Amino acid sequence: MDITFWGVRGSYPVPGAATVRYGGQTSCVEVRADSGARVILDAGTGLRALGQRISRTGGGVPARHHILLSHVHWDHIQGLPFFEPAYVPGTQIAVYSSVAAADELRPVIAGITRHEFFPMPLESVPAQFEFHEVEPGLGFTIDEFQVMPIALNHPFGAVGYRITADGSSVAYIADTAPFTEVLHKRHFLNGLEPLTNEDRATLGQLRADLVRSLRDCDTVVYDTHFLPHEYEKFPHYGHSTPDHGLEICAESGVRCLVLYHHAPSHDDDMMDDLAADYRQKGAAAGVDIVTAREGMVLAVGAPA
Amino acid sequence: MRLRFWGVRGSFAMCGRNFLRYGGNTPCVELLTRDGERLVIDLGTGATELAKHLMKTEFGKGKGRLNILLSHTHLDHIQGLPFFAPFFIPGNRIRILGADPAGSTLEATLQNQLAPCYSPLEGLENLNAYVTIDSIVPGTTLELDGFHVQTAAVPHGNMWTTAFRITADDHVVTFLSDVEYAQPDQPSPEAIALAQGADLLIHDAMHADHEYGHRRGWGHSPVAAAFAVARAAGAKRLILYHHSPDATDAMIDAVVADAQKDSPIPVFAAAEGTYLEL
Repeated sequence: MDITFWGVRGSYPVPGAATVRYGGQTSCVEVRADSGARVILDAGTGLRALGQRISRTGGGVPARHHILLSHVHWDHIQGLPFFEPAYVPGTQIAVYSSVAAADELRPVIAGITRHEFFPMPLESVPAQFEFHEVEPGLGFTIDEFQVMPIALNHPFGAVGYRITADGSSVAYIADTAPFTEVLHKRHFLNGLEPLTNEDRATLGQLRADLVRSLRDCDTVVYDTHFLPHEYEKFPHYGHSTPDHGLEICAESGVRCLVLYHHAPSHDDDMMDDLAADYRQKGAAAGVDIVTAREGMVLAVGAPA
Repeated sequence: MRLRFWGVRGSFAMCGRNFLRYGGNTPCVELLTRDGERLVIDLGTGATELAKHLMKTEFGKGKGRLNILLSHTHLDHIQGLPFFAPFFIPGNRIRILGADPAGSTLEATLQNQLAPCYSPLEGLENLNAYVTIDSIVPGTTLELDGFHVQTAAVPHGNMWTTAFRITADDHVVTFLSDVEYAQPDQPSPEAIALAQGADLLIHDAMHADHEYGHRRGWGHSPVAAAFAVARAAGAKRLILYHHSPDATDAMIDAVVADAQKDSPIPVFAAAEGTYLEL
């Protein structure tokens, strides 16, 4: 199994000279089994280039694609209307998302192609779409992939996924806040709100479930949007730091942590420093830390 | 009047080495009068860069005042809105003006963009600045802090967008994006009227002429249509705008070189980055 990063940026795409090395497109990761079977994690702006690659290499044969969404904030779905295979008749596209992130997935996805936002509505797109609602803790299979959704801590709800195939496993943990200061629910947060005892218990449970779900995972792609000093200013934004990701991964016995969902303000030079800094911190904690770059392909599992 | 392109890319923001000289951000244009009055057209991803620039001025202190015109609400023209930092500073007074999409209103559409499922902002009411949203009717004339703006509806695929003729400091800039006429050599009379004698015509030129054949009906113009408007209206300079996401710097260079060959007026491709003095 290997994973390819098509978009590594959080919030919005960032073109320009400052992002040429790490990439400016938003969340999208491709997971491929040794057989060639594929699932796609998130449909941010990185999905457009992946769609072009599929069109060029697929010989124009309609296929069935599986897109697992962490949640439906714009930066995780706005590549969907630009996914070329969707315009090939006979293509089937199965989209998965959690019930918590969207009451009903079809109208939410159809909503981004309303005529106000996009020239072609979902119902006119040639591909056949189907929508599946997933629930944390209820596993399912797609081809040879075993998929386990994991509850995360993000405004309006998000889910991560642990995916197992070919005897190894990768997890995608985006977007999530850490499990200390804030419990994200379904209302707008202008800043920190006091936690009730019940909130603290819920956070403790979310964290324990995440640590258990990631136990001995080979590779974990984690939302590490903020540097620690940035997080202090915006703890209510629903994102973590590399330190938060490392703490969870070290506790879970994860082999490799991939820093992901980079803040739009982090230019390539900052990313170089961050990557070097956390490679060392990871080594000290027994976790191999890699910083995601657009176009990067990573083998999952112990080297053969 | 001064003008700066903060985003020139159509449809989709493009990142990487192939898009550095013209820029990969989606539409956003800033106009400034001699007196420092400011008008912004569209809030594509270019608006996130404009926002950083504005935050170093009175907008960072909550003392900014700004009018923003929206040509339409397709995502590439509004996707920078949730990240436009001046919206989050209390005290800034920002007015967004644009036509109502068919069957909806401008405010309902922007509210929908920020719906809780799509955006952690969860609604326009959570923008801390004093933000007003005004629906305009294309065809009307607006007076916006030193800018005299004539508006008109122009065809864009299965809908229409609002085009602008902007007069300030005795100069005229015409903004015609996104638009596609029935025939490239037969622009609509509204478009020609809006561009009449303009000092600068900014026109949709998403497609090179040789690409246009199989992209007809997508709502965007070939370079030939931009020329047809400039010629019919007697515009003094032409700027090709709303570049295709597939057009690399080298491809745009080739289109411009070709266009300049037999053009009676100066023609350029819009590029992110510097102020143009009119």
